[in-house]
Amino acid sequence: MEKIASFPSISEPEFEKACNCLLEAYKRYNHLQSDWLLVDFVHNDDSKYLKILKALSITKISPKHQELRIEETEIEEDDEEALVEDTKRSHEVILEYNIILSPSYQVPVLYFSIKDPHFRFPPTRDTLYSYIVPHQFKLQVESVGIIGGITLTDHPFTNSPVFFIHPCQTTSVLEASLGSKEATPEEYLNLWIGAMGGCAGLFLPRALLG
Amino acid sequence: MTSSRDLQAKLQKTVWNGSIPLEIRLANADCRTYDESDPYLIQFPRLSYLALLIPGLRSFFSSFLIHPDVSPDETWLSYQGVPLKWQYPLGLLYDLYSGSEPAYPKGEAEEKDEPSQPWKLTIHFTDLPLEHLIRLDVEGKHLHDLFINNVKEADFLRNGTGKTVMSLSKEDSTQLWESVKQHKFSLFSPINQKLLSPQGTSLRHLPIRLYLPSKPRDDKSNRSIRVVQGLVPLTLSSSRQTQTVGTALNQVLKPLFPSTRTALEAQPILHGAVLPLSTSLEDLVRVTPYLDGWLHIAIKMRHMG
Repeated sequence: MEKIASFPSISEPEFEKACNCLLEAYKRYNHLQSDWLLVDFVHNDDSKYLKILKALSITKISPKHQELRIEETEIEEDDEEALVEDTKRSHEVILEYNIILSPSYQVPVLYFSIKDPHFRFPPTRDTLYSYIVPHQFKLQVESVGIIGGITLTDHPFTNSPVFFIHPCQTTSVLEASLGSKEATPEEYLNLWIGAMGGCAGLFLPRALLG
Repeated sequence: MTSSRDLQAKLQKTVWNGSIPLEIRLANADCRTYDESDPYLIQFPRLSYLALLIPGLRSFFSSFLIHPDVSPDETWLSYQGVPLKWQYPLGLLYDLYSGSEPAYPKGEAEEKDEPSQPWKLTIHFTDLPLEHLIRLDVEGKHLHDLFINNVKEADFLRNGTGKTVMSLSKEDSTQLWESVKQHKFSLFSPINQKLLSPQGTSLRHLPIRLYLPSKPRDDKSNRSIRVVQGLVPLTLSSSRQTQTVGTALNQVLKPLFPSTRTALEAQPILHGAVLPLSTSLEDLVRVTPYLDGWLHIAIKMRHMG
């Protein structure tokens, strides 16, 4: 596959290609993971973005719990799909991530919010640090900018307040992660999720890497 | 004869001094005496942010409040039920929602002065609609953050890097935010100069953001706004011709601006005035941006009931 032409920026066609690659990987390997509930490349007249949904555990998941979950999956291997489906249905509270190509910065930007039928997790700092930012990222996130590395802004398409990570550091982070190598759109997006997603609790499920 | 430099300075000053009279009343739900509180009257700069009024409004209305000890970060303002976004400057909110006729270029219609009737807003101290508005904090850090993010993005567009803002000294950054809070030109101008004309760079893209009344199909709150922006280069890539308001609108919002010369479907409004499509966009970016460096342009449909 062709390499990104003007790294660390990504063009619109390259971004679309990257999103579609991830979508394909999700369709192919979805049954091997249970972290993400949905991946979709939304595109209509005025908006194009990658949407990823993840269940939000209202009580914080500790590393111990995560291990437990993996064991369960292994034990009930025969009935794996049923288990995944079951997990999906039982979660009402959803973390929605939107990856949008910034027209100004020409890099993907992460917007995220919690979807809850009872609206118990409004976009506030309290919600952010109690339910979204993983413990190991907390200090790092809080220490930059005026109110931290993750702030609030209006979603570019819905115009409602959501969390977002300001993209002004994205290019230098990407450059540092890639070094002197080149990346395909697919590798670019994986790299970007690895570099920018963690502090928002967005991790690429290993199963999707094939 | 006035030189173009003098004219620019004069225009810049006019935009800086533009203001709107406000009449702010307490929401009935928050008022101890139902609807008998006094209104808060103020002449407020178009370029400034309503959030900066919160401390004054709070002390003014505190004796009328049912719950005087309610947290200040629950405060919000509305116009005819529409929550007003904190990060939009007053002038943009007025151009979007007030429904008052904008000023037209000379000759097209009679000239119009600043509004003499106050814009009637409602202040609320409870039930902040978090699906529309960002909750602010007492120290004003969220507002500052929203402002700086816009400053950075405008800088990135103009120069292709965010280095100008990033390399401002601590004193300069502080002075910039102070100049906004105090609406003080003598503090603002020197920093603005540094941001607008950094050494060794040439203008690349033009920071312009368009605000449209949203289509009924995706409209829950009835009066919501769709924000549109694109990458607008300094010159047209095809002809190297300089970008005008018309060519930029045609590029970013073609369905509403099919012609680069005539506004058929909709009109662009900035600082209360209809922008002629032939205006140089670079001149506007240099002389009449909002305090964050952006041209926040309200789009008004020509045939709306």
